[in-house]
Amino acid sequence: MNINTVRKEFPIFQKRGAKPLAYFDNAATTQKPKAIIDAMDKFYRVGNAPVHRGVYALAESATEKYENVRDHVKDFIRAKHREEIIFTSGATASINMVVSGLAETFLREGDHILLSDMEHHAMIVPWQAAAKRKKLKLNFIPLTKDGRIDLDVFKKMLAKHKPKFVGVTHVSNVLGTVNPVREMAAAAHKIGAIVLVDAAQSAAHLPIDVRKPDCDFLAFSGHKMYGPNGIGILYGKRKLLEKLPPLMYGGHMIEQVTREKTTYAPLPDKFEGGTPPVAEVIGLGVAISFLQSVGLKTIQKHEEKLTAYALRALKDVPNISLLGPTTAKGRAPVFSFTIAGIHPHDIATLLDREGIAVRAGHHCAQILHENFSLDASVRVSLCFYNTVSEIDRLVSALSAIVKKFQ
Amino acid sequence: MNENDIYREEILEHYRHPQNFGTMKNPTYEAEAIHPLCGDSILLQLKVNPKGVVTQVRFSGSGCAISTASSSIFTEWMLGKTVKKLKTVGTGQIQKLMRAQIGPARLPCMLLSHVVLQKILSADASFVSRD
Repeated sequence: MNINTVRKEFPIFQKRGAKPLAYFDNAATTQKPKAIIDAMDKFYRVGNAPVHRGVYALAESATEKYENVRDHVKDFIRAKHREEIIFTSGATASINMVVSGLAETFLREGDHILLSDMEHHAMIVPWQAAAKRKKLKLNFIPLTKDGRIDLDVFKKMLAKHKPKFVGVTHVSNVLGTVNPVREMAAAAHKIGAIVLVDAAQSAAHLPIDVRKPDCDFLAFSGHKMYGPNGIGILYGKRKLLEKLPPLMYGGHMIEQVTREKTTYAPLPDKFEGGTPPVAEVIGLGVAISFLQSVGLKTIQKHEEKLTAYALRALKDVPNISLLGPTTAKGRAPVFSFTIAGIHPHDIATLLDREGIAVRAGHHCAQILHENFSLDASVRVSLCFYNTVSEIDRLVSALSAIVKKFQ
Repeated sequence: MNENDIYREEILEHYRHPQNFGTMKNPTYEAEAIHPLCGDSILLQLKVNPKGVVTQVRFSGSGCAISTASSSIFTEWMLGKTVKKLKTVGTGQIQKLMRAQIGPARLPCMLLSHVVLQKILSADASFVSRD
């Protein structure tokens, strides 16, 4: 598929008008191409059946489609084994599964956990809850002024705290920083820490390879990569997943149930208790095909150009302060900023009147905002269907808002 | 421009130069409210004379144009009213004073000053009596 015509695949952008939708909230959720909407629709119309248990043709076909996506995801992130791919409801569920499993089995009172100051609340809050339960110690890697992780600082913290676990986001959902996860994972493994990479913000933008960085766990969501809501992935190394206790107990995840006890099913079923969202899994499979047909490397190159353009263009807005890296290299197309004297929510409301959808607030990263002494910022997050002329529209709308408030 | 626009010049002027902005010493009542969406906060202080009339009102904190202007306008209205009268005031009064159409996402910004007033008027408000 040609990246320059990819926008045509998205029904939501087909509405014409004086102020067509400029959708800049892709870090929250992306729009959906027709192929995914159609595939899910088709499943409900002609393919719907429970997976795994039915012996009739319709159920067997649903099961086959469902399990094929597992192989597809395995190849997409270059995992070694299909049973290392667990379907979850999203990155938040994936991270919670790891945190609660590790806290229950691997960790003891006083153990250190190392996270970064740019983590999403989905990483921070589960660990805070686990830390309270198990008396663990949380440490946070500070950020540089331009919103990056300094590898030397990270290595010093590894040496000082000897953490049992390191959790880091691949790409910041606020700053757009692409973290040096490869080097971080290597350094963390040297001291025996378990590494979880939060790929929620990178899966739609960068090629993912769970061997580089060498991840023990990796989490991402379908809806941030053009797929449906309510479906996500937990990747875990087989040896670790085998030792990890399940989070959801119930149907399908068992081997045998007696009055006395239950033995659990092998991977991946152990972690997929209950009836799974089959249509969403199928939708995720189509989303991955869609990304692959454009090509992640092509997407990366195209978005780098958009990033460079946006960084230059946003400089023209009076009184703007941009958070995060100032160069396009090592940066995803996410731009958070403040404008002196104008509240982020006022900016977002006024942009909405121009058909421009942005996010205002702390973007589930309050600790990150505290780093910059801010309560909130405006976030513009792009992806491959955004255009240079949309960025121009944004810049002139922002300049008009500044003028209005003067 | 639409005269019912929440971002009309009159409202922006209240944001640039809010009335009754600041803090006072020895208020009769004070309470703070936090906006759950953006974390903005507002502290409202009232001085009430023995007859129950509001003689001085101050608000402070950080906020957007809508919450700041609405606090400015609402506090102007409170001045000289009795506490008894304030107790009868619903959110409709702010809407009436603001004369603006606003969507559900930003409505709480406009009503923040009403929320904090309810805190003052409720039984558990911090009554700062200096008699």
